[in-house]
Amino acid sequence: MAAHARFRELVLPHLDAGYNLARWLARDVNDAQDIVQDACLRALRYIDALQGRDARAWFLTIVRHAFYDWRQRNHAPLADDGADPIEEMVDPTALDPETAALQQEQAHALVAAVARLPLPFREVLLLRELEDLSYKEIARVVEAPVGTVMSRLARARALLRASTTPPAKTRAARSEETP
Amino acid sequence: MNCTQWQAQLSAYCDNESSLLQRHRLEGHLRACSACATIHKELRAEQALRRAALPYFDAPAQLHARIHDLLDKSANAPAPPSGTATRARWTWLAGGALGGCAATLVALATHTAWVDWRAHEDVIVEAVAEHVQAQQGQRLIEVESSDQHTVKPWLSARLDYAPPVRDFAAAGFALAGARIDMLHGQRVATLVYHYRRHVIDVYVRPEPVPVLGAPRTVRGFHAVQVSAADMNWLLVSDASVDVLADFAAQLASR
Repeated sequence: MAAHARFRELVLPHLDAGYNLARWLARDVNDAQDIVQDACLRALRYIDALQGRDARAWFLTIVRHAFYDWRQRNHAPLADDGADPIEEMVDPTALDPETAALQQEQAHALVAAVARLPLPFREVLLLRELEDLSYKEIARVVEAPVGTVMSRLARARALLRASTTPPAKTRAARSEETP
Repeated sequence: MNCTQWQAQLSAYCDNESSLLQRHRLEGHLRACSACATIHKELRAEQALRRAALPYFDAPAQLHARIHDLLDKSANAPAPPSGTATRARWTWLAGGALGGCAATLVALATHTAWVDWRAHEDVIVEAVAEHVQAQQGQRLIEVESSDQHTVKPWLSARLDYAPPVRDFAAAGFALAGARIDMLHGQRVATLVYHYRRHVIDVYVRPEPVPVLGAPRTVRGFHAVQVSAADMNWLLVSDASVDVLADFAAQLASR
C-alpha cells in the first residue's frame, strides 16, 4: 500500500523526535507512547497531504495536536504547576555522558525547571534546544507567527533564568509567571 | 534603544535568527555595553548547559513494536521499504554549475543544465535514503574511531580516492567513524560525525567542478553541499541548516 510505504519512508525516521516531544509535553512514559501512537494513526491517514520535504515538522505538528487532544480528553490538570514527580520524568539512562560532568543537582534543577514551564514556552524551547528546528519550522509546528515564536523563546529563557538562578529566586520567578 | 530592548533581541541572536541589520546593530551595542555583553555571555552558557543537560527521549522499543504492529494490522501486505539507490548513469555531477550564481541561473534554462539539476537532486535524495537506512539499521558505522589516522587508511583501502578526514571535536563535531555507501552506483566515503544528539553523515567525493546548491530538505532531513580543492562534501542530518552550513564551511577550509 502506497500510504504505508510513504509512512515508513517519511514518518518512521522521525519517531524519536515525535516521542521526545510527546514525552516532554506529557511528562509521562506511557502517555507519551499513547500520544505518539495516536499521532501515527493520523499521520497514516493524512500522509497524502504531506509534501516530502518537511516530514519532520509535519509529524511534530501532528504529535503536538495529538497531545493537546489527549490532554483535553483526560481533563489534565489546569496548569502545569510543577506538581508532577519530576524525578520520575528524568530517565537517568537517557542523560548524555557530558551530563555526568555537570553538577547532578544543577542538571536536575534545570530539567525540573523546563518541565515546569507553561506549555507554550516549553514546546518552543524543546523544539529549539533539543530538535534544533529553525524559527520558521517551529512556527509551523506550533502554528504561530515567527515573531511569536521569537518572543516565546526569549520569555522561556527568561523564565528559566529566573527559576534556576538562586538569588532573588522566588520573587523574580513568581512575577514572571503571571501572564 | 535602551538596554532592556537590546536584551530582548539577544535570545534570537543566540539562535542565529536575527536579521543581518539587527545583528550588526546588536554587535555594535555589545561592544559598547558591558552589562549587555555579560548577559549575552550568560545566555550562551545557559543554552549550552540546557543542550548538555536536558535528556532526549528516544522512542522505546515497545513503541517501535506498537507502531509496526499498527502498520501490519492496517495493511494486508506491508509495503517494502522503497529503494532509490540503483541509478548507474550518474557521473559526478557532469559539469552542471558553471561557477557563479549568474552563470548557473542562465544554464538552468538549458536542457543540459536541467539534466544535471535532476542528477543533483537525485544524489541528495539518495544520500538522505542512505542516511535514514544507516540510522535504522546496524550499518551506521563500519569503522568506529575518532582517530583520523585510523579512518583515513580504512577508507583509502576501499576507494579509488583518498578522502580528507579530520576530527572537529573542538568545534562540537566529533568524528565517530566512517562507512562506504553507494551514491549513483559509485562507492563513496561517508564520514560519520556526532553533533550534540544529531548524527551528521558527510559524503565525501572527488568533484572537479564545484557544486552550487542551496540547502535542501528531503524527508525532513537537511542536506548542505560544499566544494573545495576538487572535493565535494554532502552533509545530511536532522541538525539545523545553519549548523550544517557552519560545519560545511569548516570541512572545506584548509
